[in-house]
Amino acid sequence: MTTIQLTVNGNAIEPTVEPRTHLADVLRDQLDLTGTHLGCEHGVCGACTLLLDGAPARSCITFAVACAGAAITTIEGLDEDEIAAELRTAFAREHALQCGYCTPGMIMSARDLVLRLDDADEQAIRVGLSGNLCRCTGYAGIVRAIRAVIEARRQRGIAAVIGAGRTSLGPVGSHPNTIPTTSPSMPVMTDIKLSSGAAVATLDVPDVIPAKSFDASFTVNAAPEQVFTLFGDARTLAACFPGATITDMPAPDCIEGEIRVAIGPLAAAFRGSARIDRDETNLSGRLIGTGRDQKSRTSTSGQISWRMVPIDDGRKTRVLLTIGYSLSGPLAQIARDGLVRDLASRITTTFAQNCDSYLSGATNQAARDQPQRLNAVGLLLDVALSRLGALVRGLRKP
Amino acid sequence: MTDTAPTVPDDRAPRGVGARLLRKEDDRFLRGRGQYVADIRLPGLKDVAFVRSPIAHARIKAIHVPAEYRDVVFTADDLTGIKPIRAVSGLPGFKISEQPVLAVGKVRHVGELVAMCVARSRAEAEDIAASVELDLEPLPAVHDMRLARDPGSALVHEHWGDNVFLETNFEVDISAALDAPIKVTREISTARQCMAPLEGRGVVATFDHRLDQLTLYTGSQMPHIVRNGLSDCLGIEQGCIRIIAPDIGGGFGHKGILLPEEVCLSWLAMHKGWTVRWLEDRREHLSASANCREHAYNITVYADRDGRLRGIDCVATVDSGAYSSYPFSACLEAAQIASILPGPYRMPAYRCRTYSVATNKCPILPYRGVARTGVCFALELLLDAVAAEAGLEPGEVRLRNLVQPQDMPFDNITNKHFDSGDYPGALRRALTAIDVPAVRARQQRGEPDGRLIGTGVSIYCEQAAHGTSVYAGWGIPMVPGHEQATARLTPDGGLELRVGVHSHGQGLETTLAQVAHEILGVDPDKIRVILGDTAMTPYSTGTWGSRSMVMAGGAVGTACEQLVARATRIGAKLLQLAPEAVTWREGRACGPNGSVGLAEIAHTWYRRPQDLPNDVDPSGLEVTGGYKPVRDSGTFSYAAHAVTVAVDPDLGEVELLDYVIVEDGGVLVNPMIVDGQILGGLAQGIGTALYEEMPFDEAAQPLATTLADYLLPGPTEVPEPRLFHMETPSPYTMFGVKGIGEGGAIAPPAAIANAVNDALRPLGAELMQSPLSPHRIVAAVLAAKQASSP
Amino acid sequence: MKAASFNYERPKSVRDALGLLAKAEGEARIMAGGQSLGPMLNLRLVQPPLIIDIASIAELRTIEHDGDALVIGACVTHADIEDGRLPDVTHGVLPRIARGIAYRAVRNRGTIGGSLGHADPAADWVTTLTALGASVQLTGAAGQRDLAVAEFIQGALQTALRPGELVTAIRIPSLSSTARFGYAKACRKPGEFAHAMGAVLIEPDKVRNRIVIGAIDTTPIVVNDSSLFGGATTHLTQQFDRALADRLLMQAGVTDPAARHIHVSVLARAIAEATA
Repeated sequence: MTTIQLTVNGNAIEPTVEPRTHLADVLRDQLDLTGTHLGCEHGVCGACTLLLDGAPARSCITFAVACAGAAITTIEGLDEDEIAAELRTAFAREHALQCGYCTPGMIMSARDLVLRLDDADEQAIRVGLSGNLCRCTGYAGIVRAIRAVIEARRQRGIAAVIGAGRTSLGPVGSHPNTIPTTSPSMPVMTDIKLSSGAAVATLDVPDVIPAKSFDASFTVNAAPEQVFTLFGDARTLAACFPGATITDMPAPDCIEGEIRVAIGPLAAAFRGSARIDRDETNLSGRLIGTGRDQKSRTSTSGQISWRMVPIDDGRKTRVLLTIGYSLSGPLAQIARDGLVRDLASRITTTFAQNCDSYLSGATNQAARDQPQRLNAVGLLLDVALSRLGALVRGLRKP
Repeated sequence: MTDTAPTVPDDRAPRGVGARLLRKEDDRFLRGRGQYVADIRLPGLKDVAFVRSPIAHARIKAIHVPAEYRDVVFTADDLTGIKPIRAVSGLPGFKISEQPVLAVGKVRHVGELVAMCVARSRAEAEDIAASVELDLEPLPAVHDMRLARDPGSALVHEHWGDNVFLETNFEVDISAALDAPIKVTREISTARQCMAPLEGRGVVATFDHRLDQLTLYTGSQMPHIVRNGLSDCLGIEQGCIRIIAPDIGGGFGHKGILLPEEVCLSWLAMHKGWTVRWLEDRREHLSASANCREHAYNITVYADRDGRLRGIDCVATVDSGAYSSYPFSACLEAAQIASILPGPYRMPAYRCRTYSVATNKCPILPYRGVARTGVCFALELLLDAVAAEAGLEPGEVRLRNLVQPQDMPFDNITNKHFDSGDYPGALRRALTAIDVPAVRARQQRGEPDGRLIGTGVSIYCEQAAHGTSVYAGWGIPMVPGHEQATARLTPDGGLELRVGVHSHGQGLETTLAQVAHEILGVDPDKIRVILGDTAMTPYSTGTWGSRSMVMAGGAVGTACEQLVARATRIGAKLLQLAPEAVTWREGRACGPNGSVGLAEIAHTWYRRPQDLPNDVDPSGLEVTGGYKPVRDSGTFSYAAHAVTVAVDPDLGEVELLDYVIVEDGGVLVNPMIVDGQILGGLAQGIGTALYEEMPFDEAAQPLATTLADYLLPGPTEVPEPRLFHMETPSPYTMFGVKGIGEGGAIAPPAAIANAVNDALRPLGAELMQSPLSPHRIVAAVLAAKQASSP
Repeated sequence: MKAASFNYERPKSVRDALGLLAKAEGEARIMAGGQSLGPMLNLRLVQPPLIIDIASIAELRTIEHDGDALVIGACVTHADIEDGRLPDVTHGVLPRIARGIAYRAVRNRGTIGGSLGHADPAADWVTTLTALGASVQLTGAAGQRDLAVAEFIQGALQTALRPGELVTAIRIPSLSSTARFGYAKACRKPGEFAHAMGAVLIEPDKVRNRIVIGAIDTTPIVVNDSSLFGGATTHLTQQFDRALADRLLMQAGVTDPAARHIHVSVLARAIAEATA
């Protein structure tokens, strides 16, 4: 827990907060200032907008500890505010609210526009308000109300203020030289407590029908039989597979272990099991596996099928792969095809390189003896598990 | 632009029915003093977080709860005495789904509740939820309603043998249409959507031992219906339950359901004695709670060369999700399609088969407009296809088929009883306002920026406040009867109105006060409207189906009329006149030579009974009045929407250049509020047309679980329309009012899609799927280019 | 939707921040304005044991001139740039781009350094600063190094940041008065992350073009020569080789034809603006 100093609606207070608690929750739950509403808690809807050092900010994605020393104005603090009073009158007159839930955040952004916009240009108002969603009114009354207040003030000779008068640089609310007091021992749940004796994943590996699959191929400088042998040895295969760690091999063709993936701040460790099927006559086979990341409650299953095709009179091998996978749970629900596919293809590329290196003898010993070491020397997969949906940006393909 | 005449009334300005009275509820909202469920503060409040299924369809092999949390984590095994939620329909062949409040045996959709975790804060409750391990054996998921009826499909409810909640069939002589010279067939689909009120659901449960009563605060549009359902699931008497719905941050249908969470928290309050709270977060709202509106149509329209309709033949499928939701059931939406598809159009032949299909997705709820948005989209797109085939303007095809005003009231081919209206008149005004010839000329000229211009029109009707005779046929857990309201004069001459419907933005605190003012003459400032509390209001099925102004308005009017009669009798005593000699005018009992005001009548009745003779009417100044329209088949509001768009064929972007609405909602109690309902509906309709979509992958994983992926229209996406009113009173309701809450949302997807298709016609591209996303538009343009190149 | 527990540190200086980062041995996340990390924390998609909040470090909230370049501290916000609280060496390019990022309430806390460090290929700064030839100043225990933005961004959410390093500043070269800049992006609504993005810088003085295609699922496509114009140096709009741009996108993994069409069309608009 951390004690911070805040000025809320003009009153100096010193709440004690958990670092993980966002500003809106501190205002609502500790100070009973319930006018600040939560609509999405991921920074899109704008219902939680309040004034931080006089400038609008999202209180749902701003942690209270980060605001030590800041001045906060909530909707309750605008009762006597001149612009807010004009906005309230205009909002009521123009029927700019229905259910009232977006209204406090809307007033905050509206007040900022009244301060900053040179004139009551409708498009500028609409763009300026685009971070505040209203599901009831269709915005027409809101825009009219703001236009009216801006027009009236400019007519009274009150000019716009660039940046609402802010002169210092840097994030609003974050104050240099104000250090929160942190109690020394903070219990942080760094690892999920697993119930004792619980299985980490299903041990028997069922057949899977992957939701997505694609083909890949690569050439290695070794004979097909040699490559096929590599693919038949679970330990070697795992050693070549980026991010994979074997924890147990209950049978020669069965693996238990973990695959770690990480990109930027996202990380997942899929623990589970896999089995290998082989067909010597066709020099083909497949690996089927399932795993689960308990932290994100995301599970995956996948299948890699391979076939060895001789080229250059059998001196080289074209490895034909079909990679299929399914992903379910929160990470899947926020990812999109292109990114996971990108991940899978990058895994394949690294896998192919590793196979080639292994077959050319470079990591032969290391792989055989200590498959985990491959992770340590940099094969830990660092590509996108997920691009995190448009939350982080982008491309939805219908 | 709507009428922006001064709206601040002075003392003499009318404040009754028809007045643009400013809203009584605004001030508290504008000051952040509204009180929503999340704002309820009770001592000892604990927070609940749920463990939800991450998988759409799976067998539950085990639920591992860490030992230290065993007494704060609850699974289905702990919930003694709880019955599953059953929302049955009486329609023949309906298959029953039992929705366990916490999953038993299987999970059937992502987000289904598996366990509940209680802690001092939501964050800690989520920590505990994260520590609970689910051992789930995935099963093949039913992710596409169009494949769900295939033989060999996985089954959501194994004992059914298939995935069909209900199949319905309606036919009038379709064979007579088959030889029509024009026959157009299309596959049409609409996306699964989320209603997305800005406030999610929320529940606070506590047990009052003094009253031996469970008190449940819940953001519900229908508190009395929640009490019915809770009583069934908990197995306790209704008297032991009080439901309080405080301020509601938008509903649109999302808050018209009995939630498993409501049952779970009630159980905690009753069996553990805890005061507990659960607040739906946005991810839960988008992925777990209830979605809406995923329709697929295979539809053929038959017409003569002159565009006159010969018949419609349609197969419609609705993805109803895994469970039948209470009280509207899983089949209302699809079955409604068959009865409402023909709408205000005349035709001699009609056939419609519907399927309510179970899938491994969360249940559905009726969203503003219910099936009408999809139906309007399907039919109005087909009418444009007929127009293209017949070489006629789309408006002309409609004018040739719409019911004429002189034919009102009109029973259409599915026996919907249209109470009144001039549909062709509304359309003509819309076409004139949008100026179709000017658009055609502009299309000829071309745009300097390479965009393509198009115009589109659509018409809908909105059956509202339909009552017993309609709902009895559905056989669902809720059938509306007479609506009641209590009007009580206070000793100081104020008025309390108690009604069982609820306001979630519609301004009922204002409009019901206007009705009371109209009849009783009490200053609206002195009228308090009490809503959303089963202990304080008469029974009601609540606010849904655009019924509140018609039904609760009628009930308030009736109660106030009876109050007038009583006050007149007391006033006559005070004036020492016979009651017949006294009339009620502007809040006063008036005799030939004098009058007495309501405040004095109330004061005398309550505080100075000694001033009244013994033979005074003893029934007092509190009245519960009941109301039903003369005919309860519903009021029919309607509108013509016309829009001109500019489509960028390279980026797929659509700009709405001009939007016209000509609307007839009967007599408007408060035109300002009606405008607000239409403008707000339009915004949601634009969202449906262009932005909103909850996609699923093959494993039935929902893929838009944040508002960064589920796009809600913002201020730059919703232009201000030009709004025109017509006013054809309903012949069946008090004051001639009609329900208007949903209409704004119904017509826009069809009008916009028609305009986009009009713009793209020179390229040979046509879109039959909503939303019309940039990617879909560009893909359609590219496909058309490819098809036309050799 | 509440974040998992984390420890929180708020160092006073870059030195202190680096010390904390080193001590955490890769287990810490740097947070500046928190406008990207905050949502991920609330959604529990990210659960770091330690957050190091650098937003209040004074030395990161400054600007300096370095020759004719402007060095912007990592914690300068989009709103600072939008409002002109720092000199503009780009003839309006930076304020214009800043204005189009997310929403005002986000821009008041979101920082240019945080945006680059997050390395979302759809972020405006990633594409724009690549086109402008900006570089990133990285500070670690071993000292400072500068990397061109194009080299710093290594993929989706991937940067060349080494363990223990911090983005401390962005160096923006000043544009000559003859330089022309064009920019276009496809968004369905303001503030949404882009579906397609193109930035074009034409510097007649240096006989140089730089064309950047962003908002793809990986590192932006950068073309530093006139190949997209068939080698032409004039009439670029007319000479734009759409087929080549399409092939580049295909190679970058954009397999969907409609998506490629949108990307190419957006780029064409950026080119048209830069050559108008």
